[in-house]
Amino acid sequence: MATPITIVDDSTMSRKLMIRALPKNWDVEISQAQNGQEAMEAYHQGKADIMFLDLTMPVMDGYQVLETLQKTGLNSFVIVVSADIQPKAQERVMQMGAMAFLKKPVNTEEVTAVLTEYGII
Amino acid sequence: MSIAPLTEDQRDALQEVLNIAMGQAGNSLARILDAFVELSVPRIRFVEVSMVTSTIEEFVPCSGEVTAVRQAFFDDLRGEALIIFDQNGCQDIADLMGYDDHLDVQAQQELLLDVSNVLVGAILNGVTNTLGTHLSYSAPSIMAERTLLNQIITPENVPWTHSALLEVNYSLKDRDFRSHLLLFMAEEAIEALRKAVDDFVESF
Repeated sequence: MATPITIVDDSTMSRKLMIRALPKNWDVEISQAQNGQEAMEAYHQGKADIMFLDLTMPVMDGYQVLETLQKTGLNSFVIVVSADIQPKAQERVMQMGAMAFLKKPVNTEEVTAVLTEYGII
Repeated sequence: MSIAPLTEDQRDALQEVLNIAMGQAGNSLARILDAFVELSVPRIRFVEVSMVTSTIEEFVPCSGEVTAVRQAFFDDLRGEALIIFDQNGCQDIADLMGYDDHLDVQAQQELLLDVSNVLVGAILNGVTNTLGTHLSYSAPSIMAERTLLNQIITPENVPWTHSALLEVNYSLKDRDFRSHLLLFMAEEAIEALRKAVDDFVESF
């Protein structure tokens, strides 16, 4: 069965880049969200077993999504995808429950490495 | 001559290119200052040259004096990078970098030039790596010191009719340090930038 994943980013181009960087043979059902609020809606509709999450977004940002997931004990495998590549930004999201951190611009090798590391593919 | 506005796709793509470049430059700055740098949302504006000063004032909310450093870039895109430091934040950089004493004017200038060079180099590299363009740049120089913001540029002296202004800024929590990085590009460069962004969007 295809894995439901949601790509969360306010930039259309950034979502396209992310989709392009997904491993070719990975069986997924892709949904897209433009902000954290849409991401949470997607989650509640069962569309976000895995979430590729940007941090800086209007309405509800990536940090708020992580906080909401953590506080309410919700279970989505979150991979943060960020242009803020400072080690401290990375540390902070990992403490907030993110499973991995990818630097923008993303590339297929790094996405594949993370998914392989966790036995997802 | 008028400049066509960016299409929604072009703006979205350019914004993301700047975002990535800003993140890379911010990371370099964080390493130099050994502090967590807060990033902004990049801003993009095309304006007539007569509007440049008021646009800078809108982008840089600073009522006091500033010091500005400029650095020219050329080849595939031609323009000027301008780095504006709040005067209060200048001593802050020295502090963060571990200078104990109050720096004399020359030492402080050198420090600002070094920081500017790192920021401009990183942001231009970020843009060119993503867009696949090539740029060279000049050494940085102090353009204005302890000057009011609305006096750093004299629009009458700018030989362009329109300018693209791209802005990102960096600040530190609980510190005065704040710097704005602006990229200025003239008419021809705007079209070159538009083409580079189009090529990039079409590449996927």
